[in-house]
Amino acid sequence: MAERRIVTGNYAAAYGALLSRVEVIAAYPITPQTFIVEHVSEFVNDGKLDAEYMPVESEHSAMSACVAATATGVRSYTATSSQGLALMHEVLYVAAGLHLPIVMPVVNRTIAAPIGIWCEHNDTMAERDSGWLQCFCENNQEVLDMVVQAYKVAENTKVLLPVMVNLDAFILSHTVEPVEFPDQKDVDEFLPRYDPKHAYLRPKDPMVVGSFASPEYIQEFRYQTEESTQNAKEVIRQVNDEFAEKFGRDYGGAVEEYRMDDAEVALITLGTVSATTRDVVDELRDEGKSVGLVKMRWFRPYPTEIIRDIASRVKALGVYDRAMSFGTGGPSYMDTKSALYGHSTIPVLGFLAGLGGRDVMVKDIRLMFERTLEAAKKDRVEKEVTWIGTRGVQP
Amino acid sequence: MYEVRFHGRGGQGAVMAAQALADAAFVEGNYAVAFPWFGAERRGAPVLAFTRVDENKINIKTRVYNPDYIVVLDEKLMDFVNVAEGLSPDGMAILNSPLDPEEVDLGMSVKTATVDATTVALEVLGAPITNSAILGAFASATGLVSIDSVKQGILDIFGPRIGDKLAEKNARAAAAAHDRIKIGKCKAERTYPEAKKWLPTYQEMPLSLATKPTKTDSGLVGPGSSVENKTGSWRTFTPKYDEEACTNCLMCWFYCPDAAIKRLEPPKKVGFDMDYCKGCGICEEVCPADAIEMVR
Amino acid sequence: MKMKDLPEEDWFVNGHTACPGCGGATVVKIAMKVFGPDTITYFPANCLLVFGGTYPLNSFKVPYLHVLFENSAICAAGISRALKRLGKTDTSVVAFAGDGGTADIGIQALSGAAERNEDIIYVCYDNEAYMNTGIQRSGATPFGAWTTTTPVGSVEAGKGEYKKDIPRIMMAHDAPYVATATLGFIPDLLKKLEKAKNKKGCFRYLQIYAPCPPGWRMDASLGAKISKMVVDTGLWTLYEFEDGKMTINKKPKMTPVEEYTKLQGRFRHLTKENLAALQKYAEDKWRKDQALAEAYS
Ligand SMILES: Cc1ncc(C[n+]2csc(CCOP(=O)(O)OP(=O)(O)O)c2C)c(N)n1
Repeated sequence: MAERRIVTGNYAAAYGALLSRVEVIAAYPITPQTFIVEHVSEFVNDGKLDAEYMPVESEHSAMSACVAATATGVRSYTATSSQGLALMHEVLYVAAGLHLPIVMPVVNRTIAAPIGIWCEHNDTMAERDSGWLQCFCENNQEVLDMVVQAYKVAENTKVLLPVMVNLDAFILSHTVEPVEFPDQKDVDEFLPRYDPKHAYLRPKDPMVVGSFASPEYIQEFRYQTEESTQNAKEVIRQVNDEFAEKFGRDYGGAVEEYRMDDAEVALITLGTVSATTRDVVDELRDEGKSVGLVKMRWFRPYPTEIIRDIASRVKALGVYDRAMSFGTGGPSYMDTKSALYGHSTIPVLGFLAGLGGRDVMVKDIRLMFERTLEAAKKDRVEKEVTWIGTRGVQP
Repeated sequence: MYEVRFHGRGGQGAVMAAQALADAAFVEGNYAVAFPWFGAERRGAPVLAFTRVDENKINIKTRVYNPDYIVVLDEKLMDFVNVAEGLSPDGMAILNSPLDPEEVDLGMSVKTATVDATTVALEVLGAPITNSAILGAFASATGLVSIDSVKQGILDIFGPRIGDKLAEKNARAAAAAHDRIKIGKCKAERTYPEAKKWLPTYQEMPLSLATKPTKTDSGLVGPGSSVENKTGSWRTFTPKYDEEACTNCLMCWFYCPDAAIKRLEPPKKVGFDMDYCKGCGICEEVCPADAIEMVR
Repeated sequence: MKMKDLPEEDWFVNGHTACPGCGGATVVKIAMKVFGPDTITYFPANCLLVFGGTYPLNSFKVPYLHVLFENSAICAAGISRALKRLGKTDTSVVAFAGDGGTADIGIQALSGAAERNEDIIYVCYDNEAYMNTGIQRSGATPFGAWTTTTPVGSVEAGKGEYKKDIPRIMMAHDAPYVATATLGFIPDLLKKLEKAKNKKGCFRYLQIYAPCPPGWRMDASLGAKISKMVVDTGLWTLYEFEDGKMTINKKPKMTPVEEYTKLQGRFRHLTKENLAALQKYAEDKWRKDQALAEAYS
């Protein structure tokens, strides 16, 4: 029987690796991911997880080891955060380019300067064009479930791309909350052993993996990644449904809609802000305001079609970002606008709050809804990007 | 606008020649660009460089596919590279060759200038480096740039790389070659085999290029497939082997970087695979029995 | 293994695009004859990556992986750990890295893999500069050598520092097997390659001298000769460090370094003082290596 315990997000992320029976783990500690590294080491040393554990000398090496191990033909795992992810940058592109289905929890932490350890999404957002798929989690249960689901999506032969499972620093990583732990037997049925057909290193059946290639091949190579990314949309849905069937938790696929029936406006969120927003939506609904939540779970591939469909049902959209692309707006806001351009003329507003780990308060989210409702009423965008809670800046 | 394609080998200075021509045209008040096409090959392998010249600003950024002029620094290239590919029928070939134009076969009949640039270079520079001499020939054959401008171009481009003294000498080599060209029309007898290149669609291409040994229409690809690449064409010196003198010590076999020397069934000793020998001469150098001699 | 017992078959085959006379190509050809078909190879960015295969062609008949430049040791280790999971611990995992990829940008991953005693063979083919990018200085470039980043100018000429001693650094890791070799001493080279292959289950480091005719401004035929001379001058000590014990394999003749430098254009500008400094370096190196061998006897 599935067991319930109170655990941190980091523990859930580590336990997801155990349940997924990863075979090679290579990791390097960084606050706030450190406990993931410690937990997986314990699992290995206690004999709970039969895997090669590589306590490597850097995140660059951690990702390199995962790339090499997966290219050899086994399932591999690492986890990182912030500066560690930035140090991996170069290797991330190789993992995606070589179609190696690595899964990596990333504890979203602000990137220096200034150096800080708290939550911001500017670490993973900087990797949004690396070819990695990315999902964002709202609670610790979702972290655990998504590690398992991520392997299933990543290893699907139509996809074969690596996945980052994002969890907010401290808000999930260091917070205990109840999590249900699926039975290993059920996970084994859900997630069979990794048995690659496309890339492996076997002396009896030699293959070149990672060629130096001329312009005659690279554009087709890129197109393969684009096609796989597009294919992932359908696979994400299938895996979600299969998971829901087996484990009883349905996350709604790439996007979860909350109280969106006849909602007039909606707020698109990433990460833990989605949870607080549920309460705000309830409050506003009680006050008679017709609002809903669009929880973006998979940010890559960007769920273009779903967002277009949602836009066709509301009068205005607000988009919350925990990272800024300077001079423009938050990445999620920009992607939303580009998805809707030519398909919808409703107002779309961008909101920034909670940078560097500052709390995103109920009142902040209320303000986002108020502004979005106003824009719906006027059918016009008065301020494209609003920074909320910044001293000296009028929101 | 006119467009020039230079054919040379890695190390022969085709890129510097293309740049010096651009500089010469620029000195005369034109707009000019020059650029290399880098393949992955190293010293000795065929390389390309391009020059474009116009009175007006040049915006086009592609390689040159239909040159008005081709310039060939090394005549041996013509044996296996279709140097005239895409050459405009009204264009012209400027070749480093001791032959008369009529004796040269480019597989297409075009106006041709030949110059024995190697001899000129040996006389003036004391080394068979032809990239400056051939520019002198280009100036006199085409009349597009004056020899003075070419000399200036050589000083401007070569000077910072090889020193002003050597650049001066190279300018003199250009001037010497200027008066030693022969103009005529070349033969069009040979046909070059169609360049074969495996260009799969993205669906046919192995995912992420992870490739097993595979036979394609254009030959083998994947592990061990470089045997398709006949690097023997890079060679200027060839080993002459005296089996009688050979003691079968296998030093040449051991040291050949190109694995072009094979052990044979006795009583034969070793054999040379000229498809791959690049002519480095290590075999001659290590042979204790003087059984190998490098010849031109 | 004797030279005559090397297999005729190559696992690094014809048609590669190395420059004529490339020492690195010979090192790899011979190493692959010794390592044989049950080998998985890793290549960082370097000349070998480029001349060993531009897609779709490739010169290796064994499995081949390239990821990046500075992570050879860790990628080889990742392969080896995966093989352990697959129960294939007999297979050799070999990384072939240049001196730049080893002494400079790759030293962090190399040090980590050595310290963890990863089950890999790391071969550094040492052509004493970054050749792939067009002859720039590396930590392993010798004193005085011209490179494009140590140009011969009117104020400074050639590299002002001495060659970084990577094998000594590897010894400081107490790696189970560290050896230096050149193409100039064939039985010694083959013995070391064979030992590296057969000493399974641990970290093995080989540094093999690899003459580069264009980079050293040297005649393409001189690779074998220069590989002997470098040992004779004392600029390169042939030794082995095995399970904590260091053995010098060849006593240098201490021929003047000038005999060696005069064959290479990269040293052409050296002054008398420069040559004296390089001579002193050779003598000091030999003295230090002897002392080390004594200490690790
Ligand atoms: C992170 C990174 N920086 C720089 C480069 C460019 N680069 C490619 S190969 C190379 C030099 C390789 O030198 P070395 O390791 O000595 O091998 P060699 O080319 O001499 O065989 C450099 C600098 C790179 N590929 N990656």
